[in-house]
Amino acid sequence: MPEVKLLSEGIFEVTKDKKQLATKNFDLGKTVYGEKLIQVEGIEYRTWDPRRSKLGAMVLKKFDVFLKEDSTVLYLGAASGTTVSHVSDIVPDGAVYAVEFAPRSMRDLIGLASRRKNIIPILSDAGKPDIYAHIVEPVDLIFQDIAQPNQAEIAARNAARYLKTNGNLLLSIKARSVDTVANPKEVFKEEIKKLEQTFEPRFEILSARDLMPFHEDHMGVLAKMRTKAF
Amino acid sequence: MKINTWYGVLTIGGTGEVLEFELFPKNIRELALRIITLQGNSELLWQHLPPTGFDLKATALRCGFVESSAEYYSLLHEVTLEAARIKVSESLTADQRIIQAVEALDDINETTNSLSERLFEWYGSYFPESGLTGEPLALFISKYGSRENISLEDPLYSRARDSMGAKLEAADEYLLKGFAESLCNLYGKKKQIEAYIQDSMESTAPNLSLVAGPMLGARLISLAGSLEKLAAFPSCTVQVIGASKALFKHLRARAPSPKHGIIYNHPLINTAPWWMRGKIARALAAKLSLAARIDFYSGEKEASIMDKLETKIQQIKASNPKPPQKKREKEVKPKKRHRK
Repeated sequence: MPEVKLLSEGIFEVTKDKKQLATKNFDLGKTVYGEKLIQVEGIEYRTWDPRRSKLGAMVLKKFDVFLKEDSTVLYLGAASGTTVSHVSDIVPDGAVYAVEFAPRSMRDLIGLASRRKNIIPILSDAGKPDIYAHIVEPVDLIFQDIAQPNQAEIAARNAARYLKTNGNLLLSIKARSVDTVANPKEVFKEEIKKLEQTFEPRFEILSARDLMPFHEDHMGVLAKMRTKAF
Repeated sequence: MKINTWYGVLTIGGTGEVLEFELFPKNIRELALRIITLQGNSELLWQHLPPTGFDLKATALRCGFVESSAEYYSLLHEVTLEAARIKVSESLTADQRIIQAVEALDDINETTNSLSERLFEWYGSYFPESGLTGEPLALFISKYGSRENISLEDPLYSRARDSMGAKLEAADEYLLKGFAESLCNLYGKKKQIEAYIQDSMESTAPNLSLVAGPMLGARLISLAGSLEKLAAFPSCTVQVIGASKALFKHLRARAPSPKHGIIYNHPLINTAPWWMRGKIARALAAKLSLAARIDFYSGEKEASIMDKLETKIQQIKASNPKPPQKKREKEVKPKKRHRK
């Protein structure tokens, strides 16, 4: 009998042969990207591969994700929806606003969203948050995984518009897309400085850790808005 | 203050309270189309933008657009899904079709190469003297099968008659013929795709097609990702597109910078003497990005680019008639070292 341990609301560690990160499957019987389904006491868990998901890696790196059953999430850089599917598992009664700019990825995301009621797909440029202002409500968490040189700025702009006062910002910073040649450690330092001092609103960094061994040259950052935007 | 939301037009007061509202009918298709219109029209979008932190869901409940939070999400889900579907289906532009064709062409090239090598080896045991490779070999086999069936008029007749190759059994002949026919088919497809790329480049990017040639132009678009991106690149980027490995080696370590990427395939560069190639690459890249910009933003054919490029090339040729001398190496004598 597999053993289940609760890591955070909606996120579990299922032990079957080996320890695996997992979420309760919202779309019963279906898998999204070839992950395993594990039945324990009538509940279906879907394993979550931290090597394919920055958020998954952050959970294993002991980041607080602050998600509840009815949380609302603005997910920037949804891509094909690998991680979005797990966020959708974690917030069955909430909503995931999944922003993605590439039509090719959106095609896969639409397939996923049509089977999961809590995903709101938005084909837009996350760098221009006003474009989806008539759709997105204030959210509890913004998660950003976009490989753009100005990704910290994009996160700040979205947070200013959509993050609730007590909400959190989770970022995955990819050093190689900010500056391809610089030392990743320097890039991380710079990006954190930017979040703390450059943009409006200013952020308080709650934790920042690199995502090794799951992702190379990536750093996870959890931040809170310092000044009230609204 | 009037604001646009996905479910209606609201008039709100200074503290966000709703003064007046006009709700749209709950028709998914219509609501989706409204979202698309609004997102496509920046003036409309900006003029009636909801204020920062405006709670769309709570307002929808208060105005009676929906009964519950669940109904709100369910409807919003359907509407955004429909909007995304419509936008995705509209996203296939002419340059994206060209990119698909270029990539298909590359795949076909790779496949035909390895298949024709296989055919050469396979048929080689039966008719090693044929001297044919690639498409001619595939055509020969699909026409005759065994060399014994060759016609008298064929120039290879005597070679086939005197061949030391083994006898081709019926079962093997059947297989080989089929294999060769498939290969011929692929060669045919390759020509079709090339013709398609030429035609679409002529209508989608006439200037780029003129300066680079349709195939190189299509490859540039493919490597850049879209005509829009290619038009947005500075010309120094266009110059080294396709040489990313060399470029990053240069940026990271002390490697020399690449002079040209895929534009090396342009006859102006690959026929030029080596000491002019860098200069010509720079001039060509400048005109290429100019051409891409005209194509993307106006679309009209501008024949003068080619003349200007020609003049520039002549200048380069006139001012660099000889290869540069390697300096110093001859003048400075190596120091004598005393052996211990």
